[in-house]
Amino acid sequence: MIDREWIVRKTLFVFAMVAVLGILLIVVLITQQAAPSIAKAGPFQMLFSSNWNPDAGHFGMLIFIVGTFATTLGGLMIGVPLAIGTALFLTQMASKRVAAPVSRVIEILAGIPSIVIGWLGLTMLVPAIRNIFGTNQGSGLLAASLVLGIMIVPTITAIAKDALEAVPAAYRQASIGLGATRWQTIRHVILPAAKNGLIVAVILGMGRAIGETVAVAMVIGPATAFPKSLTSPTHTLTTKIVTDIGEASGMQRSGLFAMALLLLLIAMALILAVRWVARDREFAR
Amino acid sequence: MSTHAGGVKVSGVPAETKSRVPSLDGPTILRREARAKNADKIATAGVSLLAMLGVAILALIIFAILYKGIGTALNPRFIFGKPSAYAAGGGIWPMVVSSFYLAGLALVLVLPLGVGAAIYMAEYAKRGRVSKLVRFGADSLSTVPSIVFGIFGMLVFVTYFSLGYSLLAGALTLAILNMPTVMRVAEESLRAVPDTYREASMGLGATRWHTIKKVILPSAMPGITTGAVLTVGRIIGESAAIIYTVGIFTAKVPWSPLQTGAPMAGNIWYMYTEGAKIPDFGRVASGEAAFLLMVVLALILLARLIAWFFGRHMRGSDRFV
Repeated sequence: MIDREWIVRKTLFVFAMVAVLGILLIVVLITQQAAPSIAKAGPFQMLFSSNWNPDAGHFGMLIFIVGTFATTLGGLMIGVPLAIGTALFLTQMASKRVAAPVSRVIEILAGIPSIVIGWLGLTMLVPAIRNIFGTNQGSGLLAASLVLGIMIVPTITAIAKDALEAVPAAYRQASIGLGATRWQTIRHVILPAAKNGLIVAVILGMGRAIGETVAVAMVIGPATAFPKSLTSPTHTLTTKIVTDIGEASGMQRSGLFAMALLLLLIAMALILAVRWVARDREFAR
Repeated sequence: MSTHAGGVKVSGVPAETKSRVPSLDGPTILRREARAKNADKIATAGVSLLAMLGVAILALIIFAILYKGIGTALNPRFIFGKPSAYAAGGGIWPMVVSSFYLAGLALVLVLPLGVGAAIYMAEYAKRGRVSKLVRFGADSLSTVPSIVFGIFGMLVFVTYFSLGYSLLAGALTLAILNMPTVMRVAEESLRAVPDTYREASMGLGATRWHTIKKVILPSAMPGITTGAVLTVGRIIGESAAIIYTVGIFTAKVPWSPLQTGAPMAGNIWYMYTEGAKIPDFGRVASGEAAFLLMVVLALILLARLIAWFFGRHMRGSDRFV
């Protein structure tokens, strides 16, 4: 019996360690694949040059880095007000009978496959932008930001809701008791008290936006060039990888793995940021 | 409120505070109160509007996808039909099979892994370096973009283990991708089981593993089952991680895990990138998108029904415990 307990315990331990080994293996293997191109170009050229021509030994990723950050920023500008507004509505204003269905609906949004949203963006949003702006392109930063803005709403809403619900009821009661209106209470009491949790929500939404691939790929162009306007095609790190990796070989492949490594580093940085912001809370979970 | 308007006396306030509080006359206070109330009304309207906008956008997305594709998607000849690579009028049956096959395979791999790891974390691990390490690993895995999982799977399973583009290679990739979520859901369900259950079982002389098997896992089952159904939904909707591991087009229904598949989500990507060869690729992709959406929504609904059913069942039985 004791023997069996020991075996079970060790087996379960191995299962748990798969999570650790998995991330280690991903980091090591991707770094290994990226190494030749990094050795050739050096990290400085990679990060700050916009000359992407792997056959000639140029691995500048600036176009894609700018694309990723521009679409993410655009997505946050659209998604954060929607999501925080929804979270405030659900926790501070709506009655239970209204809040429950609205929460469900937002959860459903999280379940819609990104390829489906991408297809819809390609067939409806891009033509709509083309009509409104009177251009013949339409795909680009604007379309990608709109798509991302909607896709990050469920992530941010869920975490922001938890953060707002974690504010002790006594704070609100005290504020209302002092004669403050609901909005004054939200602005001066609830939001400051939930600040760390809200920052975590935004960071995780950012992570989702940076990593999103197919939905962005279908509405951003694609083209390996800096965008000339909000409606001209460009690329992000993820969309460049997904469009090129299928037929890439040699140094070009290595360069694409270097982009994946950069995405991994960004993801790690975001995790560390979350842990730092939530260092004395349980929001990180 | 009206007591304010009656005139506030600031004279009783200690000196240091007094200097920061401007003495206000009645009308000023009334004016400020009116302004605050107005701001409250505007903010309430604004916040409600944002929430309604979110819901409206979602409704619009679902409506638009179904509107574009439901005519195609509900036709049995489309769902059960053979796909065609060059001619119009193709169906998606191999893609439907691939999606569910892949989900089943990945679930078989990830469920023991994730639940096992969760049991370790909830029942065995002490709060220490090991559990911190595992949690950091799981957290990191859950933020890795799925395209990175995709090229990792391509590197390891497709190329290194020479599985080629196959359902198995994709399932292995998706098992790692979904492990953190399954683990988190299972751990939450396990931790929600009251400690009295553990104490009662172990007090009767059961070993820890016996207790887990006979008492804790059954009590945590509703949560784990709900999580498993949601995982199936996520796997069926996943595209970036499967494009370069499973494949995106096939005319044959796959029967072996070692065969190339073309799950619906990946096949829509095929229609986008290489569909130009097919005259009616737009119709196929729209129909596939609508069908995929219906499958995923049905799974979300199923998960909720399971949670609701077990919720009632458990609450009912609790009365007798």
